[in-house]
Amino acid sequence: MEFSNYESDQSALYSGEHHLDANSADSKAKVKNIIKVTAILTVVTIVEVGLGLYGHSVGMPKWLINSFFILLTLFKAGYIVKIFMHLGDEIKNMILTILIPLALFFWFIIAFLWDGSFWLWINHAFGIR
Amino acid sequence: MSSVALESNKKVWGGGRSPFNLSYGKIMMWYFLMSDAFTFGAFLISYGTTRFFSSIWPDANSVFKSFPFCGEANLPLMFVSLMTFILIISSVTMVMAVHAGHCRDKAGVIKWMLWTILGGIAFLGCQAWEWTHLHHHGAWWGAFRNGASAEFLPHFFAHNVDPTLFAAEGADAAHKFFNFFFTITGFHGAHVASGVVLNIIILLNTINGTYEKRGHYEMVEKVGLYWHFVDLVWVFVFTCFYLL
Repeated sequence: MEFSNYESDQSALYSGEHHLDANSADSKAKVKNIIKVTAILTVVTIVEVGLGLYGHSVGMPKWLINSFFILLTLFKAGYIVKIFMHLGDEIKNMILTILIPLALFFWFIIAFLWDGSFWLWINHAFGIR
Repeated sequence: MSSVALESNKKVWGGGRSPFNLSYGKIMMWYFLMSDAFTFGAFLISYGTTRFFSSIWPDANSVFKSFPFCGEANLPLMFVSLMTFILIISSVTMVMAVHAGHCRDKAGVIKWMLWTILGGIAFLGCQAWEWTHLHHHGAWWGAFRNGASAEFLPHFFAHNVDPTLFAAEGADAAHKFFNFFFTITGFHGAHVASGVVLNIIILLNTINGTYEKRGHYEMVEKVGLYWHFVDLVWVFVFTCFYLL
């Protein structure tokens, strides 16, 4: 009995909402939230394009523009994963098993970009090119 | 004996219901997407490493400035913004399909899946145009080596680029840039294409009433996860290639 869910009908484990009524207030609130997130993602993308086109000509330094790009990208990614992929609705342990391995990216990005700029410096210092 | 030991220690999971309160298929989709995130991450980080290793690099506003039917007009970022918008909207129609599935609204799932498939095909069409356009300007895997297509090179760099550095390393930088560009957008495009195929399969199953009989539309959610991931990756590709 206990093991039957894994060996036969998977649908017993289905965790979605079985009886959500399309015309209920709950359903309408969810659709409204989806539209809100759509508007946020669209506005953030327009801001990014605006920064890409005019950021330099209004005198913003490149590092500041790039910091905005990275922050806004992570902001958009967070919304997509949390709302569109419903990760925000899962239980905490499930969320952690996804997020903790992604922490490897901190090392991954820092180590490799550092390495790239170090070898460029070495090449310049020794006049290789 | 062992079952008795398990009974006495409630902290040990004894089988039965998933401790994550999710079905096997959905958990494995999440872990597949996590591993795929590392594949895309490795691609983008190797792109970044190569860029940090280069004295000069093509300028995105100069490379991506064309729009279909606008000839040589200078419209930086406009076409890729349209592509990004198309993919975001197709992600939204996918959430609407998942939502319709929660409500067990078969007609709703069919309607929103059709829009999602249309958005995916529109994105692939845009990408095909962009690849063809760049190819006509000499760009491809392995391009710009040994002086090939050198007449196109100045178009890919900012106007104020250092002429000495450009003469010494311009071709090499463009060669590396386009190798990464076609590999990464190609790998992403392959994900979009397989996503469209999966979406079509789900649409056909929905029309046939497979999920209605099953009592839930979880397959729409699982394929939806994949589709949102494709959108998520594009957010990062967009930033790395077109913005930074």
